[in-house]
Amino acid sequence: MFTADSPIFQQLAAKITDDIVSGTYPEESAVPSATDFAVFYQMNPATASKGVNVLVDLGALYKKRGIGMFVATGARDLLLARRRDEFREQYLQPFLREAQVLHLSIDELHRMIDETKEDLT
Amino acid sequence: MTNAIELHNITRTFGRSTALDGVTVSIPDGSICGLLGRNGAGKTTIMSIIAGQDRPTSGRVEVLGERPFENEAVLSRISFVRDNQRYPDNYRLHHVLRIAPDFAPNWNADVANELVDGFRIPARTPIKKFSRGQLSSVAIVLGLASRAPVTLLDEPYLGLDITARAMFHDVLLRDYSERPRTVLLSTHLIEESEALFDRVVIVDQGRIRADVASDATGELAFTLSGTTDAVDELSANQPVLRVHAVTGLKSVTIEGQADDALLERAEQLGARVGVASLPDLVVAFGAGTPDSSRPTTPSISQPAAQKGVRA
Amino acid sequence: MKAIASTVKLHLNLREYTFVVPLSITGMVAAISVLISLIFMRSGSVPGSAEWIYGSQANPGILYALAGFLVYMGVASVATTFPFALSLGATRRAFVAGTLVWYAITAAYIAVILAVLAAIEVATGHWFAGFYIFDVNVLGAGDTGRLLTIVFLGVLSALTIGGVFGAAWIRFAARGPQLIAVGVVLTLAILTIVIVPEAAAVFAAFRLWWLAVAAGVVIVLAATGSWLLLRPAIVR
Repeated sequence: MFTADSPIFQQLAAKITDDIVSGTYPEESAVPSATDFAVFYQMNPATASKGVNVLVDLGALYKKRGIGMFVATGARDLLLARRRDEFREQYLQPFLREAQVLHLSIDELHRMIDETKEDLT
Repeated sequence: MTNAIELHNITRTFGRSTALDGVTVSIPDGSICGLLGRNGAGKTTIMSIIAGQDRPTSGRVEVLGERPFENEAVLSRISFVRDNQRYPDNYRLHHVLRIAPDFAPNWNADVANELVDGFRIPARTPIKKFSRGQLSSVAIVLGLASRAPVTLLDEPYLGLDITARAMFHDVLLRDYSERPRTVLLSTHLIEESEALFDRVVIVDQGRIRADVASDATGELAFTLSGTTDAVDELSANQPVLRVHAVTGLKSVTIEGQADDALLERAEQLGARVGVASLPDLVVAFGAGTPDSSRPTTPSISQPAAQKGVRA
Repeated sequence: MKAIASTVKLHLNLREYTFVVPLSITGMVAAISVLISLIFMRSGSVPGSAEWIYGSQANPGILYALAGFLVYMGVASVATTFPFALSLGATRRAFVAGTLVWYAITAAYIAVILAVLAAIEVATGHWFAGFYIFDVNVLGAGDTGRLLTIVFLGVLSALTIGGVFGAAWIRFAARGPQLIAVGVVLTLAILTIVIVPEAAAVFAAFRLWWLAVAAGVVIVLAATGSWLLLRPAIVR
C-alpha cells in the first residue's frame, strides 16, 4: 500500500489528489474523514490528518463544521496546475537524463513522442 | 502537548548485566509509538518499568504525570500485556473476560467480543493449552478492550496469522479513533506495522538510538551502495552503522544525511545514495559493536498539537 | 479499597476452586472415614460401644487431608495468581491484603460447612449408623464454638503458610521455599530445645487457647512474610 520512497502522509495526499483529479471525488462532494482514511489504509490517524491537511493547505479541501471534509470548487484545476509544475521535475527531468544516457537526439525524442502518442490513441 | 510517558536517564541493572543504560525518552499523549529493536535490546524492560511492574535501578519514570510503581490510580489506567503472559491454572477464556473489567475501568465488552470472534479464540480449551497465536489473541483482547489511556503491547503479533494481524490493525485503529489513547507497541514486523506509527523509538543494547516522528525517519540515516572501492572512499570518515558486503560490492548505512559534496562524488563514482527505510534503520542500529563513546542520536521533537487526539 | 476488593474477586474468579473443591475433599475424607468405620465393624467392633466411639473420635484424618490441600491452595493462590494480578494492574499491597481477605472468606466458609455437617452428624445419631466423621476430637468433639474456632484458625494458618511459600517462590524461585522450610525447621528445633527441659510443666499448664495464639502468631508472621517477599518482586 505504501512504499518507502516518501513520507506516508505525502503518499496519502498524492492518492487523494489523484482521486480528485480523476473525478472520483467531484467538487463540493464529501471525502472520507482522516479517521476513515486511517482505518481504510491501515495507517496512523494523525499521519492521515497530516495528509489531508496538505490538501486543505493547498485549498483543494475545506472543512464544513460538524459535517466533514469537502472538495473545494476549483480544486481540480488547482491540483492540475500543481501537477503541471511538478511535471517538469517528476517526469521531464528523469526523461531527459535517461535520454542523455542513451544518447538520443532531440529530433529522435520528438519522433518517439509522436509515435508513442499515436499508439496510445 | 503533554507527554503521557516520560523516562529520564533510566538505568536498570540485573546483577552485573545492564539492561537499560541512561534511557531518556518521552512519548506524547495520544501517540501510537513503535518501539523497535533487536531481541534483548531492552524493549520489554522499558515497557515493564513504564507499567510499574519493574523498577529502575536509577532514574525517573513518570506515566500520566506520576510514578507508576505501586500507584493504584495510575496502574488502573495502564494496560500492559506481555508476550509471555501466564494465567492461573485452569483458566479458560471466560475467566479472563470476567475479571478484566474489575481492573480496567474503561473496559468495553463489545470490543472484546468482536476480537474474540475475529480471532476465533476457543471458549472451552484451558488457556494453558493454547497455541502461541491463541495466547497472543488473548493478550490483544486484554490490551485493546481495556481502552486504557496508556496501552503497552509487547510483541502482540507472535503466532498470529495474516488475517488476524489485519484484524488487529483494524480494531486498533478504529477503537483508537473512537477512544484515543497512548499506545506503545513493540514488534519485529516492521514493514507491516510501520504505517501505524506516528512516532518511532529504536533501542539497541539498552540505549535509545532514535526517537523521532515517523515522517522524520528518513533524516536519520542514508544508504550508500556500489563497488567496494567506491563505497570505501565515500564512507571513509562517515559514521557508518552497518556494512553489507560481498566480493566487489558493498552497501553501507550511514548515520545522518548526505551532504552535497558526498552526493556529487557518489554520482561521479557511480554509487547509489538512498534513503534508509525504517527496516534499514532498525537493522543498522542493531548491527554494531557497541561504541560507548558515541552519543545517542538526538531526538527530533514532534511539532505542534495533534488534531483531535486527547487521551 | 477498591483494589483490595478486585483482588478478592480475582481469587474468587475460579469459583469452583474456592467453594467446590474443599467440599469434594471433605466428601472424600468422609468416604474414607466411613470405609475405616466399616472395617472396624467387620473386625468385630460394635458401633456405639465405648471403644468404638473412642477410636472413631480420635481419627484426625479430616484435618490432615484438608490441611494438605489448603497449604497447596495457599501456594497456588500466590504463585499463579500474583503474576496475573500484577499484569492486570494490581498493586502488590492490594494483592497481599486482598489475598488475606480471601483466605479469611475461605476459612469462614469451610468452618461453617464443617459445623453444619457436624451438627447434622450429631442430630442423625452419626448418620444413623454410628459413623464418626466430623464429631471428632480434633474438631472439638461436638462443641460448635470450638469447631468454628479451630477450623477458622486452622484453615487460615494453612493458607497463609502456603501463601508465604508461594511468595518465596515468586521472589527467589525454587530456592525460596527451601529457605523458608529450613528456617521453619530451625525455629521448631530451637523451640523444642528450649521447651524440652520444661516439657512436663508446659504440658501441665497447657491450655487450648495457646494453640489459638500460636495460630494467630503463625498467621501474622506468614502474612507479613508474604508482604515483605512480594513488595520488591518483579515478574519477568
